Amino acid sequence: MVFLTLSCWIRNRGPDRYWKVQEVLSNARHFRGRKNRCYSLAVRAVRRAFVYATKARKIKRRNMRTLWISRIAAASREHGMKYPALMHNLVKSSVEVNRRVLSDLAITEPKSFLSLAKLARARQQEGFGAALGDGKEPPGVFSRIVTLQ
Amino acid sequence: MALTLRSGYLEMLRTCWRLQARHVKIPVLNQMGLLYPAIARHRSSQSKLPSSYVPPTSLSRPPWPEVSYISSDEEERQHKVVLENVNTLLAKEDYGRLFAVVHFASRQWKVTNEDLILIENHIDAECGDRIRLEKVLLVGGEEFTLIGRPLLGRNLVRVEATVIEKTESWPKVHMRFWKRHRYQKKRIIVQPQTVLRINTIEVAPRLT
Repeated sequence: MVFLTLSCWIRNRGPDRYWKVQEVLSNARHFRGRKNRCYSLAVRAVRRAFVYATKARKIKRRNMRTLWISRIAAASREHGMKYPALMHNLVKSSVEVNRRVLSDLAITEPKSFLSLAKLARARQQEGFGAALGDGKEPPGVFSRIVTLQ
Repeated sequence: MALTLRSGYLEMLRTCWRLQARHVKIPVLNQMGLLYPAIARHRSSQSKLPSSYVPPTSLSRPPWPEVSYISSDEEERQHKVVLENVNTLLAKEDYGRLFAVVHFASRQWKVTNEDLILIENHIDAECGDRIRLEKVLLVGGEEFTLIGRPLLGRNLVRVEATVIEKTESWPKVHMRFWKRHRYQKKRIIVQPQTVLRINTIEVAPRLT
């Protein structure tokens, strides 16, 4: 008599548990503590790490832009202009250099940045001159304000 | 407050007299100046300034800074001088390394010779093809800068590049997880990349 049910009691749990576990643990090898060795802890830590990485990819763009803006503001203040004035006047002069390149120019090409700042300053003065005008009333207008002459 | 000042002055005078045993006699004019400082100021101001003088206040001049006007002739002369200088520089071709700001693949790049650029998308050119980058915003060297409004002319600047490599990026993981809601999604993103090497930047020596 042969005992035949022994072979029915053996469970085949799946041949590649080792590789599935390694897939997760390999992403956790540089973590601190038991998270880099124990699978249950590692799963949670790796999931958080991936979610942080996806969110950070969006936030990185925002942070880079604020960094460029603060660098351009510092460089323009060295030349006696403020950041909003510089950008507005460059846009009005139809110069479409973006903030990343402007910050690179401010760091590596100071003379070119100075020329851009001077261009913006000239456009600003032109704008002020146009706003102030001649100091006279426009023709054909009768005004209550009487200037002493 | 004026009264207390005057009394303070009197006290000072009295103490001085007591200390110096009443030998010091301050002449009458000066005494009046010490007792009534307003009179002293009035006396000093009367002699120097004309009667039409108005002291400056916060409303003496407008709050905006003064604008210095340049006449159009002067401006034209200045422009001509600058143009001549730049034209002589370009004609000599004595400038060293040039840099250019180029608009390519919806991004702006600050580029020089022998530069490598990594672009995160696919380009329709094969490896080894020579490409001309046409949208140039700015060209500069050590002595001069040419600023385009917004672009510089095609016959003014020539930027050439070669396609070196066409690969894919490393596999980035895009994961979403919402805690206590049994929701998670994992996706692997692989983006095509192209590497360009900038060969030359040339400027044509003719400006009006």
